[in-house]
Amino acid sequence: MTDFEAIDTLLAGAKQQIALPPAQERRALREKLNLSRTQVAQALGVSPSTVGGWESGRDPSGEVREKYAYFLQGAQAKLEARAEDVSDVLSDGAAAEDGTTGTVAADSGSDEVQSLTTPQPCVLCGGPAHHQVAGFPQHLDAAECGTAAASPARAAKPVQVRPVGRRMQTASETSDPIGAAVASALATHEGDVEAAIAALVKRAIPDAMALLDATRTGGRYDIVAHPWMPDILRKQSARGSDQIWEARPKWARPELPPGAHEVTALDINGAYLSALKTHLPIGQLEHSTGFDHDRRRAGVHLITPPAWEHDDVLPNPVGARDEPGPLWVTEPTLRLLLRLSGPKYGLCDPPEIHESFTSGATENLLEKFRIVLKDARDRAIAQDDEVTLEYVKAMYAKFVSTLGESNYNREIYRTDWMHLIRSQAFANLWMKAYKAYDEGLMVVRAMGTDELHVIGDWRAVFPEGRGVSEVKVKDTYSVGTDPETAAAGEAGD
Amino acid sequence: MPERNIEFGKYGARGIKGHEAVARRLDDLAGYIATPITAKRGLMARLNYLTRSDHARAAARAAGLTVTDRTIKAWLEGKRLPSKKNLDRIESAYRTVRRHNIARYLVGRLNARGRGTRVEIHPVNQSQVPRPRQRVVEYRTLNVRRWDRIVEAWAAADDQALDDAWADQIIDLGSQWGQYEYVTNIGFAA
Repeated sequence: MTDFEAIDTLLAGAKQQIALPPAQERRALREKLNLSRTQVAQALGVSPSTVGGWESGRDPSGEVREKYAYFLQGAQAKLEARAEDVSDVLSDGAAAEDGTTGTVAADSGSDEVQSLTTPQPCVLCGGPAHHQVAGFPQHLDAAECGTAAASPARAAKPVQVRPVGRRMQTASETSDPIGAAVASALATHEGDVEAAIAALVKRAIPDAMALLDATRTGGRYDIVAHPWMPDILRKQSARGSDQIWEARPKWARPELPPGAHEVTALDINGAYLSALKTHLPIGQLEHSTGFDHDRRRAGVHLITPPAWEHDDVLPNPVGARDEPGPLWVTEPTLRLLLRLSGPKYGLCDPPEIHESFTSGATENLLEKFRIVLKDARDRAIAQDDEVTLEYVKAMYAKFVSTLGESNYNREIYRTDWMHLIRSQAFANLWMKAYKAYDEGLMVVRAMGTDELHVIGDWRAVFPEGRGVSEVKVKDTYSVGTDPETAAAGEAGD
Repeated sequence: MPERNIEFGKYGARGIKGHEAVARRLDDLAGYIATPITAKRGLMARLNYLTRSDHARAAARAAGLTVTDRTIKAWLEGKRLPSKKNLDRIESAYRTVRRHNIARYLVGRLNARGRGTRVEIHPVNQSQVPRPRQRVVEYRTLNVRRWDRIVEAWAAADDQALDDAWADQIIDLGSQWGQYEYVTNIGFAA
């Protein structure tokens, strides 16, 4: 019987959706009260662009809908009350022609209390008051004054808090540069989402640099933006490239078993955002030769890659390299190769290191920066906030692509970091491919930064979603023909 | 060590003078024509730059390109090729004129309306110095607010003036500024 009780409680709990005024009216109500979208959004605990969406036709649901309905009803009530006051003033207007501050001495009581011919906002509740005490307009009767009713409601409102370091802080104390930038862009473009996105994407690089500086305050290491660079990291010519091999995977399985296969193209979310967590050299790169790998340093290394014998099932971790011989690889590629040559994987021989340019490294240099961006991204996805999502995407993507010698970002010249972060993204993709292979899926392609084609039940291996640890489906297609139909076709020929 | 070094490199430290590193960085920012003058494309680009207007011609002449207009015309039309000596003259005149042209713009960018530009100073390389003689010299940063004298000296290719102007800035590093007279690199953006 418990099942039926549960259903009964569910039915009892299900309420009819509260009706909201039409979309245009919602905006008009807010604007007549001189409230900005940000203010309303803060009170309701959503983002300003969400409120913008509700005002342009979308409908909120659930608890937020009730809150929004409460706000709209309150706004309507307040506006009606104001309209009545104005009509009162107009009817009394003939008595006070000479000025707005005309006062008449009260005929009774102490001489401090005066009655006003023109109602003025009460200093306690803000409503129209007809009396003033010692120059302050206010209601004489507590019942008339709105403060008595308003104050308990204000006190009962919960305070939004967030963890900052080891302590908690109220949300208003913590600065949210991303939220503030989005709110101001939406305000200047009056809620035009596309224009706001364009404006935000345009300022993404300086904003990302400012955010990086803000996240480094109190950090142990300074960001060294202009170190000396070895020649291997310098471009050979204006349009040329340097000598670093980033190990970008570009691999397709040479052959598939016979039969028809359903292939799913998976897309790794925020690949470069996740790759910001990598071992980055802090200071200037120093040269060394013939040493073993030092786990506390990072940089670029001249290695002879080991032979790769699993090319028919897994991509080469060094990528699609045509030329034989030694090559300059970055820290993530080297660490991946060392890991795969270890006893746990045993997939190849260890690489041979000839020369290195390294510096003391830390994995946490961009960690706060990454967390801020990731949190903003997650919040934007949860609230369906397209503006913030595009802005965050532009911030991290452009940050990575202009870290080197770019004319679009002259504040930082860390070509080594650019290569390391990209390689980390490729190494992450390789590990995903390996995980798929290890769990029994058939890996068909690994390409670009974030694309993996697999055959099999991938949902058992990777969670599906839009978070950075999840994957989303880019495409599904079938390849090959069923052996029976193929045989029939051949017999027919 | 508050003063200038006397025998730099005696124990194997390696580095260049601070002002040379600054000049190098300013040269990077000036963005000269990348193609070498020995290639035809590079030569033509430099000649075009130096003969674009009467003002440019006068500046080139002042910078030491003292050939007749007839000769320049013949070079531009490809009828004659400049001699090796004249190639050097064209190159040095081009650099001088380009520096002079870009100086005012660079000063504006670097001064940034009084905010100045953050400069990173990377200390000398001591890897070849015997261990007991190595000293702790840290990486330092400095905000330089007035670039006028530095860029002026760089544009005039006046090494002594550039050295003086740069030393006047780095004394703000404190009593240890002599450690930063020689550096491996000086980084800043404009």
